[in-house]
Amino acid sequence: MFGGVFIKNKAMCKYLAILGLLIVILVNCMELYSGESLFAIDTNNMLSFNSFNLVFITVAMVCTLIFFLLSGSDIEKVGANVSEYFALIFFVLCGVCLAATFNTLLILFIGIEIISIPLYILTGSDKRNLKSNEAALKYFLMGAFSTGIMLMGIAFLYGGNPEGSFYISSLNAGQGKMPVMIAIGLVFMLIAMSFKVSAVPFHFWTPDVYDGAPAVFTSFMATIVKIGGFIAFIRLFENSFGSVQPQWQLLIAIITAATLFIGNLTAVFQQSVKRMLAYSSIAQAGFMLLSIFALNEAAKEGLILYAAAYSLATIGLFAILIKMEDYTIEGFNGLGKKQPVLAVTATVFLLSLTGIPLTAGFQSKFYMLMAAVRDGHHQWLVIFAVLCAAISAYYYFKIIQAMFFKEVSLNTTSNNLLLASAETTSTFRGLLIFIAILIIVLGLFPWLLTDWLHYQ
Amino acid sequence: MSITEILFWFLSVLAVGGAMLLVASKNPVHSILYLIITFFAVSGHYILLNAQFLAIVNIIVYAGAIMVLFLFVVMLMNLNADSEPPQKNRLLLYSGTIAGCCLLLVLVAALKQSSTTSQLVEMGGGDAGLIKNLGMALFSDYVFPFEISSVLFLSAMIGAVVISKKEA
Repeated sequence: MFGGVFIKNKAMCKYLAILGLLIVILVNCMELYSGESLFAIDTNNMLSFNSFNLVFITVAMVCTLIFFLLSGSDIEKVGANVSEYFALIFFVLCGVCLAATFNTLLILFIGIEIISIPLYILTGSDKRNLKSNEAALKYFLMGAFSTGIMLMGIAFLYGGNPEGSFYISSLNAGQGKMPVMIAIGLVFMLIAMSFKVSAVPFHFWTPDVYDGAPAVFTSFMATIVKIGGFIAFIRLFENSFGSVQPQWQLLIAIITAATLFIGNLTAVFQQSVKRMLAYSSIAQAGFMLLSIFALNEAAKEGLILYAAAYSLATIGLFAILIKMEDYTIEGFNGLGKKQPVLAVTATVFLLSLTGIPLTAGFQSKFYMLMAAVRDGHHQWLVIFAVLCAAISAYYYFKIIQAMFFKEVSLNTTSNNLLLASAETTSTFRGLLIFIAILIIVLGLFPWLLTDWLHYQ
Repeated sequence: MSITEILFWFLSVLAVGGAMLLVASKNPVHSILYLIITFFAVSGHYILLNAQFLAIVNIIVYAGAIMVLFLFVVMLMNLNADSEPPQKNRLLLYSGTIAGCCLLLVLVAALKQSSTTSQLVEMGGGDAGLIKNLGMALFSDYVFPFEISSVLFLSAMIGAVVISKKEA
């Protein structure tokens, strides 16, 4: 349904993109409130819209809107083909919508591909930069491989279910033991989806790609695309494999634990903030995996909240990071004095990512842990997750410390801070403050978002 | 012997002969040309089996796109009979022959048991492979994925242009 709306926006500049996005958000909200859509298209039951999907799509679109508002001018700096970049981002968003609402494996596959292919291009859009080219090639090869695994999984699932259909509800593996084909298909789908959300045994592409891609696109990739992957993940596993949850729960638990552990531990050792954020996004993915582990109502509410909190904070942080000349932690030294607004908002974002109370990050982590506790199996995972959150405080606080308590080192002073002060406009600062306030409001009143789930 | 049977035997001889020549010829470019003959013959078999769509796709994808790719690679790497290393290892030759014969044996044994051996061609009967049915399914049940995949191709096309365009 949303695909058609996006294609109209093909040749557009920044403002047209923002306008188009606003219209789509309005239409989406209207559907959420009244339950009736602008066009009712018969998709032969291949898409399903319920309040969970629609709230999620709204979150993704609002995040994209904020991303455009904050970083739109930075997209223009990447290269000559500005309108193409915007178009590709819209394609990705269309893919995210499909991935959030799919009802058949066919749509899931197309959605995931629509997400992936523009991303390969965006990663390599900085053509002069060797690192960007390398990242794009690496991402493309690994991504193509995981797509192959996913197709193989779909083929097994299709062959294995008695009705021979692509609809995920009819895949239901039934009670008791799974047939072999379904089990193989399940594991393949698990691998492919874990790759897309960069869970640990399949995370190797993440740091290189996030580091190599232009920072604006990394910001988009680490947030909206990642949460899009998660929504597809949870939809697939809830609707098709929900009844055999005990059989794959341990597998997810192990992946979650490994993701949390390796993501947090390697992030500690990073010097470049951009790379550190890449690892921290792996670690945050570990927390989001808890929702797939638990698969209950609290988990779904938590996932929505987590998606919003994590995306807002990360988009804000990347927007600040882009303004920096120097991506290392030393580059942040003394920011508190020169650019107090930037520093304070960055602190709020970092605190939210850590999960300090009063921020949205805390509430969302709380929901996740609550969901896992309610589930009642594998309780060690909860304790482990809390420990890992404690580790994450170390590297997030390192940046805060650098901003407020360290003096500017002499060699980087001149150009770095001059640049930072020259390029921030008052609207940019105002938007950052707005996001920070949004994060705190969501932290104080999470039901503002989660209540929407029960609206219909 | 009806016309379809004559056609069947003709195509079979063409396919098997092409495949033999493909393996036997020294020049890689000739091998590829023989492979194209084989593909065309197999496509002819598909038509005899009333599977039009498969036949056309086979020609477009295999005989068209993939073969051109093969030719390009061979020509770019400048392979020919001279650059091929002389085959010295006779043991490899023998083991390859034996393995091939084993495969043949297994295939013959398996096909002998199957029930379809008596029917060589299937003209007029069976409509699973007809383009009409495919089109009906594509534009009724699967129209939504069909339309959406156009977005996928559009994004791939735009991406290709973005990647390959010269920066001003």
